[in-house]
Parts: sequence; structure tokens; C-alpha cells
Amino acid sequence: MSKKNKIYWFEGVTEKGVKALLNDEDSKFRWLRPQQNRRVLVLLMAFGLVLVSLGSYWPTLKTNLNLSNGASVVVYSVTAIFVILVVLGGYSLLRISVRSIADAPDELLDERQIKVRNTSIRYAYYAMGYVVLALLLLMFFGPDLKMFQPEGNDGSYLMIATLFAYASMPSMVMAWRERDI
Amino acid sequence: MLLAMSRNPEEPVYNRIEEARTVLGLSRQDLADKAGVHYQTIGYLEREEYSPSLVLALRIAKSLNQEVSELFSLTPFKKGK
Repeated sequence: MSKKNKIYWFEGVTEKGVKALLNDEDSKFRWLRPQQNRRVLVLLMAFGLVLVSLGSYWPTLKTNLNLSNGASVVVYSVTAIFVILVVLGGYSLLRISVRSIADAPDELLDERQIKVRNTSIRYAYYAMGYVVLALLLLMFFGPDLKMFQPEGNDGSYLMIATLFAYASMPSMVMAWRERDI
Repeated sequence: MLLAMSRNPEEPVYNRIEEARTVLGLSRQDLADKAGVHYQTIGYLEREEYSPSLVLALRIAKSLNQEVSELFSLTPFKKGK
């Protein structure tokens, strides 16, 4: 007799997934529970997001670094793989580290967890204000950004970084602030 | 800034949950299951780091066969009482 796994499309979680993380004490991700390790993960994620956004300035960086074509392909590829691993892996680990509480719906959480989640989302909203401000400053004062233009700096990386920051910010705030998760 | 933000100070609610739970021989997980919360929430309550809603206080009191007034207080409990 298997109960159907409810999918919460809006929150991007499943009932079984959240319940498994909430009750998981002996998993291979136990090392993520100490606050210090979670904070390291948050810093790594933030670093990865900055690297992603710098991808927008790759044409300018490549010129300034005076790299040959071959060297630029190698540097770009290695950096891109590292960034993908850090950001995608970091995002997944962040959600695990906070047991998906930051994304879970009310009905899967108790009242304290709901309060913690709501506080994290409120602070994430403030933090995103700073991210958007930084983005606007870059657009006004940084080197020219031309969306999807091969001859200019490609602004799409900044957009991707911002979207990832938006998706992961509540988990980042929770991972940073909460002593016990 | 995010780093400097602090938690909202709350008026502490003192309780005897741990004492009552131990008398009944219940683990935190047992009480959490009875009260319908995560076991860590019981830990937060016992350390008086979280003030429960009235509904949760009533559920915990019922789970521990106690009155809410015997279990929770706005002033510290006297030892041995």
C-alpha cells in the first residue's frame, strides 16, 4: 500500500521528499547540519553566484587578460565547469542542509518551522534588494552589457546569477541564521 | 545588513516540559509525535528558546496529562515545586 506522493509545484518540493529530510538523522548529509558547515556552504554559494555573474564580462576580461584563443577556451571551460558544480551542487546541498524547510508548504511543517521559514523569506527579500541594487549599479556603471550579443558583454549570465540567487536566498538565509536545523 | 540582524526578542515562556516528560518516561520524539510537531521543536521549547502558541501549549499539556497552568508560566518556576 503506497501513499501517493503529493507534488507541490508552486514550492518545488514533494511531500515524501520534505518528510524524508525532516526525519533524516542518519544520512550521509549529516555533516551539513552544524551551523559552521552550513555557513561555509552559503559563502561557497555566494562565491559561485559572483563567478556566474562575472561570466557576463568574459569578453572584456578575455581582452584585458590578453589570453590567446586556446588559453581562453581552457580558462573559460574550467571556470564554467567549476561554477556549474558549485552553483548546482551548492543549491542542492543548501536545500538539504535546511531540510527543505525554506521551501516547504505550511501543511508539512510545525508552527516553529513555519515561523523560521517565514522569517528567512522576509530576510531573503531584504537581501535580494541588495542583489538587485548591485545589479542596477553594474548595468549603469559597468562595461556595456548587450543581451545575447556576441560582440558585447553578454548580460544573460547576470540574469542567471540573479535567478539562482532569488531561488536559493531563503535557504541561504536559513542555513546562515539557524543554530539547529 | 544581514550579518548584523538579530532575532526579535520575545517574552520568555517558562515551562516544565522536560520534567513532566521524564516522569512519564517519554523521549522527545515520543512527545513530538503526540503533540504533532518536530522533535527539535520540543528541544527548543524545553530550552525555552521558543514560545508555543496556545494551541500547541494545550496539545503538549494534554500529551503530558497536565494543565497548561501547571506546565507553562510567564515567571520562572521554583525548583522542586
